[in-house]
Amino acid sequence: MNTEQINAKNVSTKHISVKRYMPDSSAEPYWQQYELPVDDSTSLLDALNHIKEQLDSTLSYRWSCRMAICGSCGVMVNGIPKLGCKTFLRDYEGEIRIEPLSHFPVQRDLVVDMAIFLEHLAAVKPYLIDDNPVKPYDPQAPETYQQSPEQLARYKQFANCINCGLCYSACPQFGLNPEFLGPAALTLAHRYNLDSRDHGKKQRMAELNRHEGVWSCTFVGFCSKVCPKHVDPAAAVNQGKVEAAKHTLIALFKG
Amino acid sequence: MDKLSTQRLPPLKRNWWLKHRFFKLYMLREATVLPLVFFTLCLLAGMVALLQGADSWQGWIVFMGSPIVLLLNLLALAASLFHAATFFVLFPRVMPIRIAGHSLPDQAIVAGQWAGVVAVALLFFWLFGRA
Repeated sequence: MNTEQINAKNVSTKHISVKRYMPDSSAEPYWQQYELPVDDSTSLLDALNHIKEQLDSTLSYRWSCRMAICGSCGVMVNGIPKLGCKTFLRDYEGEIRIEPLSHFPVQRDLVVDMAIFLEHLAAVKPYLIDDNPVKPYDPQAPETYQQSPEQLARYKQFANCINCGLCYSACPQFGLNPEFLGPAALTLAHRYNLDSRDHGKKQRMAELNRHEGVWSCTFVGFCSKVCPKHVDPAAAVNQGKVEAAKHTLIALFKG
Repeated sequence: MDKLSTQRLPPLKRNWWLKHRFFKLYMLREATVLPLVFFTLCLLAGMVALLQGADSWQGWIVFMGSPIVLLLNLLALAASLFHAATFFVLFPRVMPIRIAGHSLPDQAIVAGQWAGVVAVALLFFWLFGRA
């Protein structure tokens, strides 16, 4: 939509259906419809806040920054994973169905358990590893790491991940096998492998170069479509396949 | 753990890919292998026929000329071109090519791959077109 057409006075009424799940009162999830006033500036997160404050205080969902940087307000909107704060109701005609993120266990309403996602992130050692530095650390003359803009550019795109988990809800391979490390974790591993200051590629390869690592990916590519920060996890994972294949070949010849 | 007992994770159904267009397109891309299997079986049958002698070879040529086989092989050609089109676009994302520190634009890599297809096609027309 053209930004000039956005009008805060353009108020209308919309219906939002939310998939409720409240384990203390009902074993099965159910759909609940809310009717609320929206204008062109109403985001889905604004709408959920309106429901919570004005209509139904029992609704549970996560949110924090409302500006697409904290990554906590991910939900399924008509079956597609989206950030609530970056989704505007003006773009939806007719039915709007809100569900918790797919492929994660639901704890309550729109709140999912992301423990397995965090485990997968931790598994790829997403931090600078400097076990074999080019120049050993000298306490007499400590030096900062230096990195040229060109070296930064190699991984910068992959460093924009906000850990929202939308890519895991978009990935059918993760849906079929939760042991698959998944798009964000593999992208983060690739991001550190590409970093000129890092020397931990060998350690990460043990995780990456296995069936539940890069090789579970079949390049469906939906993860990159839904990524709110344009990280392109599908590209990173598949570049990881090339690296893993190289790693295997080199290991073969080294014996 | 007690907390887990109240959590819900419905398993992914077999028809997950019917949910929306993007997944259907992905399955179409993956399904292009089916007509290609038929084509490679045809080629394999041709090799066997060649080994078996002239009669068998003539029989294979008649078989390859039958309308249904022609149709299936045309489908295989279309499928392989569709697969190529999707693959060529993905390629620069998987293997970004860097020359002297500068990355090559994606369009150049895609165009290069199609140029390769045209070159191979022309080579085969030149080799077999006169026969």
